[in-house]
Amino acid sequence: MALFVVFQTTFFLTLLSLRTYQSEVLAERLPLTPVSLKVSTNSIHQSLHLQWTVHNLPYHQELKMVFQIQISRIETSNVVWVGNYSTTVKWNQVLHWSWESELPLECATHFVRMKSVMDDASFPEPNFWSNWSSWEEVSVQDSLGRGILFIFPKDKLVEEGSNVTICYVSRNIQNNVSCYLEGKQIHGEQLDPHVTAFNLNSVPFIRNRGTNIYCEASQGNVSKGIEGIVLFVSKVLEEPKDFSCETQDFKTLHCTWDPGTDTALGWSKQPSQSYTLFESFSGEKKLCTHKNWCNWQITQDSQETYNFTLIAENYLRKRSVNILFNLTHRVYLMNPFSVNFENVNATNAIMTWKVHSMRNNFTYLCQIELHGEGKMMQQYDVSIKVNGEYFLSELEPATEYMARVRCADASHFWKWSEWSGQNFTTLEAAPSEAPDVWRSVNSEPGNHTVTLFWKPLSKLHANGKILFYNVVVENLDKLSRSELRSIPAPANSTKLILDRCSYQICVTANNSVGASPASIIVISVDPENKEVEEERIAGTDGGFSLSWKPQPGDIIGYVVDWCDHPQDVLQWKNVGPNTTSTVISTDAFRPGVRYDFRIYGLSTKRIACLLEKKTGYSQELAPSDNPHVLVDMLTSHSFTLSWKDYSTESQPGFIQGYHVYLKSKARQCHPRFQKAVLSDGSECCKYKIDNPEEKALIVDNLKPESSYEFFVTPFTSAGEGPNATFTKVTTPDEHSSMLIHILLPMVFCVLLIMIVCYLKSQWIKETCYPDIPDPYKSSILSLIKFKENPHLTIMNVSDCIPDAIEVVSKPEGTKIQILGTRKSLTETELTKPNYLYLLPTEKNHSGPGPCICFENFTYNQVASDSGFCGHVPVSPKAPPSMLGLMTSPENVLKALEKNYMNSLGEVPAGETSLNYVSQLASPMSGDKDSLPTNPVEPPHCSEYKMQMAVPLRLALPRPTENSSLSSVTLLDPGEHYR
Amino acid sequence: PPAHLCLLTLLLPPLSSAAPISPAESISQAYSLALYMQKNTSMLLQTYLQYQGSPFSDPGFSAPELQLSSLPPATAFFKTWRTLDDGERLSLAQGAFLALTQHLQLVRDDQSDLNPGSRILLAQLGTARLRAQGLLGNMAAIMTALGLPMPPEEDTLGLVTFGASAFERKCLGYVVTREYGHWTDRAVRDLALLKAKYPA
Repeated sequence: MALFVVFQTTFFLTLLSLRTYQSEVLAERLPLTPVSLKVSTNSIHQSLHLQWTVHNLPYHQELKMVFQIQISRIETSNVVWVGNYSTTVKWNQVLHWSWESELPLECATHFVRMKSVMDDASFPEPNFWSNWSSWEEVSVQDSLGRGILFIFPKDKLVEEGSNVTICYVSRNIQNNVSCYLEGKQIHGEQLDPHVTAFNLNSVPFIRNRGTNIYCEASQGNVSKGIEGIVLFVSKVLEEPKDFSCETQDFKTLHCTWDPGTDTALGWSKQPSQSYTLFESFSGEKKLCTHKNWCNWQITQDSQETYNFTLIAENYLRKRSVNILFNLTHRVYLMNPFSVNFENVNATNAIMTWKVHSMRNNFTYLCQIELHGEGKMMQQYDVSIKVNGEYFLSELEPATEYMARVRCADASHFWKWSEWSGQNFTTLEAAPSEAPDVWRSVNSEPGNHTVTLFWKPLSKLHANGKILFYNVVVENLDKLSRSELRSIPAPANSTKLILDRCSYQICVTANNSVGASPASIIVISVDPENKEVEEERIAGTDGGFSLSWKPQPGDIIGYVVDWCDHPQDVLQWKNVGPNTTSTVISTDAFRPGVRYDFRIYGLSTKRIACLLEKKTGYSQELAPSDNPHVLVDMLTSHSFTLSWKDYSTESQPGFIQGYHVYLKSKARQCHPRFQKAVLSDGSECCKYKIDNPEEKALIVDNLKPESSYEFFVTPFTSAGEGPNATFTKVTTPDEHSSMLIHILLPMVFCVLLIMIVCYLKSQWIKETCYPDIPDPYKSSILSLIKFKENPHLTIMNVSDCIPDAIEVVSKPEGTKIQILGTRKSLTETELTKPNYLYLLPTEKNHSGPGPCICFENFTYNQVASDSGFCGHVPVSPKAPPSMLGLMTSPENVLKALEKNYMNSLGEVPAGETSLNYVSQLASPMSGDKDSLPTNPVEPPHCSEYKMQMAVPLRLALPRPTENSSLSSVTLLDPGEHYR
Repeated sequence: PPAHLCLLTLLLPPLSSAAPISPAESISQAYSLALYMQKNTSMLLQTYLQYQGSPFSDPGFSAPELQLSSLPPATAFFKTWRTLDDGERLSLAQGAFLALTQHLQLVRDDQSDLNPGSRILLAQLGTARLRAQGLLGNMAAIMTALGLPMPPEEDTLGLVTFGASAFERKCLGYVVTREYGHWTDRAVRDLALLKAKYPA
């Protein structure tokens, strides 16, 4: 029993000790719970910042621990994040840890708690998690201040394409809140009645000034407020491209790259990305000030290999590129210098240059380019040490060349240097070819005028500047000294007058070095003796195709020559001996110009012999003008049209004939004429003359006294001449000629009779109207006297009362009054001197009565009216015609009055007028002067109006200069009576 | 150009001249400047909004509820406004334009940061500030001429706006440019009233 007790005690003790040990171990671990957890917020980074300590850690001991952290949002049960944080913990250490929230912290209350576990090798397994710390609540909402609406996060910087959560807090749940991103409404998720969050996926880059997001709170349609944020979206930083470094002098490395997009943002939110160069062997770093290049100083001569890293960096991202290279492999030489040319002659030259020395024993590869006439001619590669030299050969004489050179490191080609170049000109050489020479010969009695033409040598053959041409003329028929003429360039012709001998002419072109081979032409005694028919040819497309018969005998070639228009320069073309056709085509050929071609054969003796002549137009045109047509032999039935002066040669085409157009009233065309419609649509008749030399046409079968219109125009293959007006011809009357035949003799007869009558007037008088005998002179009178009867007498003429003609002398001055006013006329007694008063025989002439005025209408009515009929008293019974005269236009009247006043002022005094007194009227107390004393109320008077010849032109008032003229007309009105 | 010359003369410091200026003359000068300013205020507001993005640049944008505590409102009941005496009237306008010059400077600084390339907007903001200052000078001349006491100059902005977000600063600029227009309109009416009261 005691043994059992002992055993039991031992067991308990053992158990107790075991428990004690265990509890000791546990007691050591339990205090490791995190304590003093404090949570703060960072609004800029939207992060929670945790800090805590771990109590009861062994003194001076570092332990590895794992902390599990839980974060809930809005309420503790809503855990949004769980994670472990491993770290070594020292005694009394304050631990820090941060957590970035996607949702802006201002929009929701967050809760944080943690537990820990030992994770250290010095502590054996098993390890247990500590208890959770208590929830720590973080709320920023309370600090928001006054306002109805808040949006977060403010001014956030994000990268393009990233996801962003934004949220708003609305204080008043009655408000309806709508949110917009750049004007487009966005829809979110309500976290609680006050808070709504929006997840923006893959935000786009819109502009570097940021993207506006705003929310509007409203009740009904009433806006309560607007709030917004600017989201700064940065472009994604690109990796620098084409990064490379090189050196020109082994002192500086020049590194370049393509930076790509600039990620700078407005509002100083993010500056442009920075670039940093880092060299790993030396460990040196350099911040680059330019965005696409950077210079690196080479400090150590010994460093051959470089490992560069280029780091591009902005607030959001870091990108880098790396290059590793040997310095000697990245040598970019400076361009060569002292480029010179030595021993330059006509065809070759030596080019020399220098290269900037890099290091000893460096070999350079150089490339030479030879340019001439604007294009690259040759390219050579040459390997050199420091001084370069190259022999340029096969050059053209007198030519400007440009040679340039560039070099590179021969052992490790990296890149060519820039070019260095220089111009040089080769020397001249003698011209290599004889000039192309041709001639024209004008034969005159006794001599020939030979004009030599030559073409300037091409640059290729001239080998320099041609200074002069030598022409050597040698007589072949007799021995004489040859004549040398030197013609300075750039002349291309010369004139020679040669006698009728054969001559050989040699022409050479000369430059400063020497003469060209000679060009030889022989002028025969009779150079152009052959009459050759001219053949017409047609031009084709700006050119002429010529062919000729092959010439028997030795021919060394053919020459075709022609004249250029309008310069009139002789042109020629050389054709080989086996060719008998050629095409002449130049741009100089112009339409409507006739070209004459002559084809010569050149004999072995170099004598040219004319073979054929051709003429034609490159393009025929319609005639430019119409002939001047004359109308001949006009009869009542026909006329002849002729245009003999019209030249058919100097026309812009070969004249093929003429068209004669005829218009007449008759619908039918004459035989031989055809109906035609003109361009203006009118119809007419057309006659075609096919012979260009037939320059006349008889138009017959015409009607007398009819008018015809004609128009003649020439035509070529291109059409007829310009439109012109028709000329009118009227055929004469058929009888008019007959009338002339009758009338002429009749007139002649009448004249003859008149002459006869004149000559025989005395006889006729005596025959037809002999003189009446005077009774006083009659023999009968003597018989009566003889009977002595005094009562018996012959009726005396004086016993009869004849009609008296009274000559009244007009006193001067009164005339002015006559015409001055009508009133004065009535007051004046002597007012009617210019009238013939036919006083009737009746005695009632003193009473008022109608007055008859005889008017001569062949005279100026107005003038006579105003001047001389105006004073006639107008009675109510005056005839209408009279009234009409009296009421002639006032202005004319006045003007004329003025005129007459002027004129009458010059009327000489004492002018006479005639008063006619009827023979039947009784004598009035024998006083003839009393007759005109009472003209105020003239008795029944017949009045003959003065016949006044006033031309209408003068009647119109022209105050001064006409006054004398009108006065001349009016001066002597009495004359008209006689 | 004649308008510019005119403006230059108006902007000349009115107090520098030794000879005292009559109230009518200084009122007339101030009135001319206010009228000239009035022509450009709506353009300044439109230019400003155009650079701020949506919703500011949206057609017909208006947010009358946005106000600044540091800027006195230009609106007033007619009876209140009409019964103000000359001193009160001018003091209110002077206080407002003093605040506006400071705010316009702030807006210009903000915009040169946000829209560094917008030379037109920056120039217009600068000009507006200069004109507001010119009008202040003119008003001071009127007060001197009328023998009214000058209100003390104060820093209306104070510490309020630092730390504002980009959007808030855009809003501030909007309110400032808007109120600048309203206050210019009010100044024209104020000065017209004075002009009628003190005829030349």
